[in-house]
Order: sequence, then C-alpha cells, then structure tokens
Amino acid sequence: MFQGQRGWFCGSVGRELRQFWVAEGGSISDPRAADFLFSCDASHPDTLRIHQSLDYIEDNATVFHAYYLSAVANTEIKNSVALGHFILPPACLQKEIRRKLGSFIWEQDQHILIEKHDEI
Amino acid sequence: ATNNHSKMLKYRCSGCIAVGKSLNSRNFSKLLHSCPYQCDRHKVIVEAEDRYKSELRKSLICNKKILLTPRRRRQLSSES
Ligand SMILES: [Zn+2]
Repeated sequence: MFQGQRGWFCGSVGRELRQFWVAEGGSISDPRAADFLFSCDASHPDTLRIHQSLDYIEDNATVFHAYYLSAVANTEIKNSVALGHFILPPACLQKEIRRKLGSFIWEQDQHILIEKHDEI
Repeated sequence: ATNNHSKMLKYRCSGCIAVGKSLNSRNFSKLLHSCPYQCDRHKVIVEAEDRYKSELRKSLICNKKILLTPRRRRQLSSES
C-alpha cells in the first residue's frame, strides 16, 4: 500500500503504527524528504516544528494524524480510507475548530486502536 | 444556504472523496485550496489554518527585519 513512499513520524506516534507503515512498504525519512508527515499530538515539539516551518506556511506540509494508518489497517479495502479526514491542525487551532465542528474524525476513530490492542 | 447545500451534493468536497496513492502531505493543502466545494468540515479547518499561516508569515518577516536592521543588531549585541 505504501510502496515507495517516505514517511516522517513525530515522537508522539506509537511503534505499532510505524511498524505497520514499514510492513506496508513505506520507508522512514526526515521531515524535509517525507511524502507523508504523521503525528499523534500536535503539541509535541516535533510536530510544533513542522507547523512553524516554511514548508507548512507555503501549503507544502500537511500533517496527518497517524490514526489514518490504523484506519487503513482496519479496513478491507485499504485504498478506501480518505486521507483528508485525518488532517492534524496546529495545537493552538484545535480548540476553536472543535468548538465549530465537534470532535475531529481521528478522535472518533480511537476505538479502532483500542480494539486492536485487545486482540494482542 | 439551500443553494449551497444542493451544490455540495452535486460537487463533493475533494478533501473528502480523494483517496489513493497520489495524495500526500505535500499536495493535500493545494488540492483543498483548489476545491470550490469544500465541505463545512474542511472549510473550517482550512480557514483556521490559513489565518494561522498568515500570522506566522507576518511574524517571520518581522523577525527577519529585526535581525537585518544594523541598528537593532547593535542594540541586541550591546544588551547581551
Ligand atoms: Zn471535505
């Protein structure tokens, strides 16, 4: 699924999700070279740095919640998960966005991870 | 509002329907910006992010100016 794709992972992302990425053919890279930027916590210093980078300001660096990977892992048709539902906005914006929209989709998806933990 | 709603049904938000390999962290923001029929969810997120980005851009330009002004630089070095 992720053959030939380079991914950067914030320190907030668990080992399981990184392993899934690699198992699906993805490689791990630094943030400048990465095709995908994954994080589980926008207030983590690694992700803060992305959200303050020139790449981000110039619309070249969208951070996605790493639960995208667990959503992919948990669906039959791996290509059917909409990446766009897993945007992780800067931490300082989340309160405002939540007030307007309710919870983020990746917050609603948390049960998927818990189910997976139970199996192991 | 009704008109907007029917438009949204006809032209679905590209941030929501786009799936597959071609999308990534590098092109997603541009795709969303070029979508004329953003859903409410993506619209709110894009607006908030754009505001944040323009503030950040302003403060970056400010910082650069401060660092590049010789008088200010002298001030900084004499302070330290
Ligand atoms: Zn959308």
